[in-house]
Amino acid sequence: MTNVRTGYRRVPLDEVRARLGEPEPMTKAKILDRIDDHFRRFIAHSPFLAMATADAAGRADSSPRGDYPGFVKVIDEHTLAIPDRPGNRIADSFRNLAENDGIGLLFLIPGLRETLRVNGRAYATDEPDVLVRMRTEAREPVLALIVEVEEAYFHCGRALIRSRLWDPASRLLADELPSAGEIVTSQLGLDVDPATIDRGLEVGYRNLY
Amino acid sequence: MQQTILERIDRVAQGVFSLVLRGADGPLAPWEPGAHIDLHLPNWLVRQYSLCGDPADRERYRIAVRDEPLSRGGSEYVHRFLRPGRRLGVSSPRNHFPLEPAPEYLFLAGGIGITPILPMLRAAIAAKAKVTLMYAGRSTETMPFVAELHSAYGDRARFMATGDRGRPDLAALAAQSSSRALVYCCGPASMVETAEAVFPSDRLRTERFQPTARTFAPDTAFEVVCARSGRTVEVPPEQSLLDALSYAGQPLASACREGVCGSCELVVLDGEPEHRDDIGAAEGRMYPCVSRALTSQLVVDL
Repeated sequence: MTNVRTGYRRVPLDEVRARLGEPEPMTKAKILDRIDDHFRRFIAHSPFLAMATADAAGRADSSPRGDYPGFVKVIDEHTLAIPDRPGNRIADSFRNLAENDGIGLLFLIPGLRETLRVNGRAYATDEPDVLVRMRTEAREPVLALIVEVEEAYFHCGRALIRSRLWDPASRLLADELPSAGEIVTSQLGLDVDPATIDRGLEVGYRNLY
Repeated sequence: MQQTILERIDRVAQGVFSLVLRGADGPLAPWEPGAHIDLHLPNWLVRQYSLCGDPADRERYRIAVRDEPLSRGGSEYVHRFLRPGRRLGVSSPRNHFPLEPAPEYLFLAGGIGITPILPMLRAAIAAKAKVTLMYAGRSTETMPFVAELHSAYGDRARFMATGDRGRPDLAALAAQSSSRALVYCCGPASMVETAEAVFPSDRLRTERFQPTARTFAPDTAFEVVCARSGRTVEVPPEQSLLDALSYAGQPLASACREGVCGSCELVVLDGEPEHRDDIGAAEGRMYPCVSRALTSQLVVDL
């Protein structure tokens, strides 16, 4: 089988498996079906996660979520709650979850090489007892996502070691990108000073809650 | 900010831990009964706790923290994740609930609201005042320091487990209480509100640990003039005065950002603030994290 556009061969799964070899039995054994005390402590110290969802047709999306460490609440060992803070209002994740409730989360802790993966099923809620726990700066989110945990997995640190993600020197990479205003004006062909858009963005960034 | 080391963390009642914080760099800032501190937690949250230890011990602060089932992350962090030996930042003590001299005191404490009352009791007795304590909680197992209070104060301390017998009858207590007694009340909103209804306001001092749920007139824009720097800052409806000042390059200290802790106190020179805090700002003061303006302009001492 070959991809039509690139002409690259698609490697079928059995061949992928043959090339990678089998995982260590320990690796599989590490997959828990709940949030134990160690994972609870991990989530309590994580200020950031990537959230993956897909719609009924399999169109997938991953979006960032972040706040103070522990912004994701562990309701019990099978249930998490993620606040929905103001963002771009596209609501891709909510739309996907309405069609297909599968969700994959990747939690990060600054400075830590290992990450936590949590997979399960999710739905939106406006349960007051959940929202009140997410109150910050005198504001509560309007909605939260409830995640029913099916798998929780402590992922080894190789990717973060190779990526030097927490190495302060890696921050210099950001200087190599044009500003958000420059990217947007170029992509949309806008006849606007990019600095105006950058300033507008900074003002928007002040209202985080 | 003072640096402390968590020396001990002990369960003192069902759902309540007592924390002893030792100064990491020598003696800690002094305090008087009724004072509270901001505790800076490793998860970036800052929470306010009344000091309940001995003011004469300059090496240590003691606080007590209840595990809130609907915790936003402060009490949950303390209960589940803090361990002795952890360094923790602590603010200088502030006191919005000072013990004023009186010949007689009636202390009303609800649950974890006992914490500021503990050092007050000792100070009142040392000052040879007559004291009565009414301490209510859901059940004796959930009420910290009951045994300690009972042995220290005997029948001057009355305990009530409201789970069995409903709420304490503050109206009856008010009817019996001497008109010379100052009344200090710290507890849940329902208790503080009842106390406010039955005791004359000139004899009642209260402290809340949660902001009261209230509704305010819609937020409107106003202007704030910083008298010292000569700068004028516009405060749009969707922004707090605290944030507007900080974005304009006039940052203020702040902690709770919901009108409870008092760390952002600002001196108002002209104009009329619309107070929305739960501290009760003194004349000429305001808390810009929540409070806004009734006049189109405020002049502040910045």
